[in-house]
Amino acid sequence: MTRPLGGRVLTLGRHEYRFAFRSGVLLLLILSMVLVAAGSITIASFDFRAQVADYNAYLQQAKAAGVAVTAGPQFFPLQLLRGVIEYIEIIGAVIAIGLGYLSVARERTGNTLPLIFTRPVRARDLFLGRLLGAAALIGTILAATAVISLIVVGTVGGHWLNGTELLRLAIAFVAAFVYMLLFYALGTWLSARSRVVANGLVLALVIWLSVVLVLPQIGDTMDPDNQVPGGLFHALQVRKPDEKRVLAHFSTYEKVRNDLEEMSLSKHFERVTFAVTGIKDTYNGKSLGAVAHGKRNDIAWLAFYSALLGGLMWSGLTRQRALPREA
Amino acid sequence: MSATVVIARQHVRSLSRSRTFVLILGVLLLMTAVSGLIGWSSHATIIRVYDETVRILAAAGKSAPPNPFASKPRLSLLDNMIIYIPLIGALMAIVIGHMSVTADRQAGVTGVIFSRPVQRSSYFWGKLTGSALAGSVIMAACLVLSVLSLTLINGGFPTASEFLRLTLFYALSSLYLLLFVLVGMVAALLTRSQSMGLFAAVAVWVLVTFATPQFTAGLRPVASLNPVTDPATVSRSTFFRITSRAKPIAVNEQYKALSTRILTEGSGARPAKSAAQLAPIAFFLLLLGGWANLLVRRRDFSEETARD
Repeated sequence: MTRPLGGRVLTLGRHEYRFAFRSGVLLLLILSMVLVAAGSITIASFDFRAQVADYNAYLQQAKAAGVAVTAGPQFFPLQLLRGVIEYIEIIGAVIAIGLGYLSVARERTGNTLPLIFTRPVRARDLFLGRLLGAAALIGTILAATAVISLIVVGTVGGHWLNGTELLRLAIAFVAAFVYMLLFYALGTWLSARSRVVANGLVLALVIWLSVVLVLPQIGDTMDPDNQVPGGLFHALQVRKPDEKRVLAHFSTYEKVRNDLEEMSLSKHFERVTFAVTGIKDTYNGKSLGAVAHGKRNDIAWLAFYSALLGGLMWSGLTRQRALPREA
Repeated sequence: MSATVVIARQHVRSLSRSRTFVLILGVLLLMTAVSGLIGWSSHATIIRVYDETVRILAAAGKSAPPNPFASKPRLSLLDNMIIYIPLIGALMAIVIGHMSVTADRQAGVTGVIFSRPVQRSSYFWGKLTGSALAGSVIMAACLVLSVLSLTLINGGFPTASEFLRLTLFYALSSLYLLLFVLVGMVAALLTRSQSMGLFAAVAVWVLVTFATPQFTAGLRPVASLNPVTDPATVSRSTFFRITSRAKPIAVNEQYKALSTRILTEGSGARPAKSAAQLAPIAFFLLLLGGWANLLVRRRDFSEETARD
């Protein structure tokens, strides 16, 4: 008897999840992300405490000297998550590529794909099943990361997140989920279309290197304010309105720099999550509606990449069926 | 011809035939070529930003601080290379090290090689020599590209002192890349699966490149991508006073610090400080080299099969 589409997809998805669970891969990935997240928030908390200590020392000196004081560092608990988001941006993408690769490699090495296709399974079922399995795996990894983040912000950071902050955290992790799924699709597509699967993995890592590290790095180092430790305008003691007046003369340069950054999928993910969590100062305290409106361009880019990579993964899996087993 | 030379030559040839290796090499060379351009563009813009700022401050009756870029050495235009070598170069080195073990396994020739009178040590030294040679040739190509871009940007050849500094930088980079060749080699020798070997090596790279600077200096992962970083804002924290003690053994930070001194600081050689910064790289080279040699000696190559 032929099983309904939902049943076939669910079976294939469950197979993906079970394999990662039994082989220990899932546990290893959860541990990696949980450790870097906990370490990163702990370090950010100590960093903030150091800033407060520095400010208090300055305050005492300023009061003793009888001079006016500037405002001290403000505590925004979600800003402690900056390192976690950056780790998801870098390591999360590698993990997702790895999951996509392993999914293809396992079936290619075990030669199980022809066996699967002896059953009433179509390429569409395989595509959806893998996507479902990957979604469950990535969801588990990110859920563990979110929970540990919550606990470390509460215990080490000294603030338990309230309802609004929890909602913003959840949205940031949903964006992370989509982001990692995109890299999973990339890993699957390239591995499936390579005769030697390891070559697909290396190619995916090269793309990851370019998109996640090199392009944002170029945009970042071209930023005039990043040329001096602590910021150029801070070093020149220039206030924000004057900074804007100066930069207005360099609109073409800024546009080129911004366009370079916009070529990177990671930058769109970073901009959306930094805005939602208030890590980006200009969005701190703004409503989610205002954030969505301000970041509509980045959200549209993420949607475009989702459609593109989803289509490529589909074509890769269709092609995989025709590829001979490698030696 | 000795077995070591034959194995080294075969390894270099196999690398040159690998499309994935050629692809990463292409990315590295491209970034080397554009590194000078990015440096020049940023530098020229920032000078104009400074001039514009001075004009606005003067109009408001304020005096501007001195130009922070006035005394920057010309080689500082290439400071992005201090980031690209640990990023793209190290990843390429991992692939070189990984392939030195897995290419033979994949071709199914490991058993055949050891059916000949080839000693394990010759095999190890052959692979290491081939990898070191490939790395050195690539660094030499990067040196040529850097000299060309500096000549184009500055409108004249680098001086003898600048050329010496560039050569020293790329020699140091070759040593740093050899470290990751050995990481790739050891990871591939420790695992039966090709993918796990590659992942383990990439995990070590992530740890060295991103996690260690955050632990020792509070530097966020993405901030590690910028050659100009904020000075430690954490001097008063006991936590960072303790973790910063691990800095001398953090190879990535020592490489960056030494490279910055070579390329962007006009200071003298300071041999004692340079030796101290070079020491952890040399130590880990010896450690990983010894480990890889031991693994090659103990491995049963007769049952080698390619596994994804």
